[in-house]
Amino acid sequence: MAAPRRAERPRPTLLILLAAALTLLTLQFRGAEPLNAFQQGIRDVISPVRSIVDRATDPIQTAWSGIFGYADLQAENERLATELAQVRGAVLSDEADRELLERLLGEVDIAYADLDTVVARILGTPPGNFGSHLVEIDKGSDDGLAEGMAVVSGAGLVGRLDQVDRDRSVVILATHADFSVGVRLVASQDEGLARGTGGPTIRIENGIRLDAVIADDEVVVTAGGRSLFPADIPVGRVVDPDNFAEYERSVVVELAAGLENLSFVNVVVIAEEDTP
Amino acid sequence: MTGRVRSLVVLVTGLLLQATICTEFRHRGVSVELLLLVTVLAGYHGGPDRGAVVGFFAGLLHDSLVGAPLGLHALVFPPVAVAVSSLEQRMLRSTPLLDGLAVAAAVASGTAAASMAGLVFGQESVDAAALVERAVRAGVLTAVVAAPVNRVVRWSMAGSGPASIELRTPAG
Repeated sequence: MAAPRRAERPRPTLLILLAAALTLLTLQFRGAEPLNAFQQGIRDVISPVRSIVDRATDPIQTAWSGIFGYADLQAENERLATELAQVRGAVLSDEADRELLERLLGEVDIAYADLDTVVARILGTPPGNFGSHLVEIDKGSDDGLAEGMAVVSGAGLVGRLDQVDRDRSVVILATHADFSVGVRLVASQDEGLARGTGGPTIRIENGIRLDAVIADDEVVVTAGGRSLFPADIPVGRVVDPDNFAEYERSVVVELAAGLENLSFVNVVVIAEEDTP
Repeated sequence: MTGRVRSLVVLVTGLLLQATICTEFRHRGVSVELLLLVTVLAGYHGGPDRGAVVGFFAGLLHDSLVGAPLGLHALVFPPVAVAVSSLEQRMLRSTPLLDGLAVAAAVASGTAAASMAGLVFGQESVDAAALVERAVRAGVLTAVVAAPVNRVVRWSMAGSGPASIELRTPAG
């Protein structure tokens, strides 16, 4: 029990502090640049300490993951074994799919592999307890990265840069509920806005015509346009075209890139003169 | 060393530990809420005023670290410190187990309140079940490391308040 002390009147102090917090919030939402710079400055100052501690505690982290993540690893193992069995069983179908994808990408002259990218290593989950579907990478503004840039892997779209510090950035994954991207269906040429669902798929909810003919497995790519994302980055394949919608289409897309167990990603760098 | 400098040292150390050890060593994705723990203990040892001030600055540092809008956690942490202080004055008896449960409950409440405040201000939405589960786990995890932090916060709060004035009635 704390030592007895004289009675205090917390109300004025508390009210002043709450008013200060609300003022800061208001200024932040109005885009006060010094506040952003203050926050980024704090993160930049502690970033070297984080890197040193990260390296120093790496073996202990491995042991920690082995002890407390054993059940997760076991579940992951079982999931991968199941996936492997499915892949083996459907190898012919996959080859046909791959050919179809290559043909479709070739038809629209997609230069996905030619994009200027910066390779970044995934460091893990950013600080905080409520940042699901976010990962931290080891590259930042010093490497030419900026907020809003597309993050991809060899298989397609992974997410976008959400918070960029000098030598670290946070990627908001495509599955995050706040993620949205303009997409185009390669065969039907319909465009719409796809959003993360918090699950393994994304959903196109705006822009698709009710009478558009969309096939299962149709390839979906980024639409480009005014977006910071270049056009024609593979996003995934349609798994539910919602062909019988009466009011608004809600097309479910399975992402081409696996977002679990990523180690490295590519950030698509856009030169300033190319920015729309 | 004055009380303010001690509090500053504790806050900066808390920030560094939150950014490094606490972030790296998670239990099923949940980490220790060290800056919130400092706030709770500051309310416990320092009283409502000083607890609220420490909580405010701890909240600002937490906002900067996690990239939340500046002021979001600073809006939540001071009331937590005041509530802890108020409850502490009403506690009839104190045992390590009771104190540990109280810390876990305070941290869980603060974590959940911060998440809900985030929802109000347009941050990521978390479904209610996941929010409660994460908050409770964060509370329990944080209570586990509370003992050493308690000593440090008590040290930072010692002797930093205004000198107390004792009123004495003249003898006879």
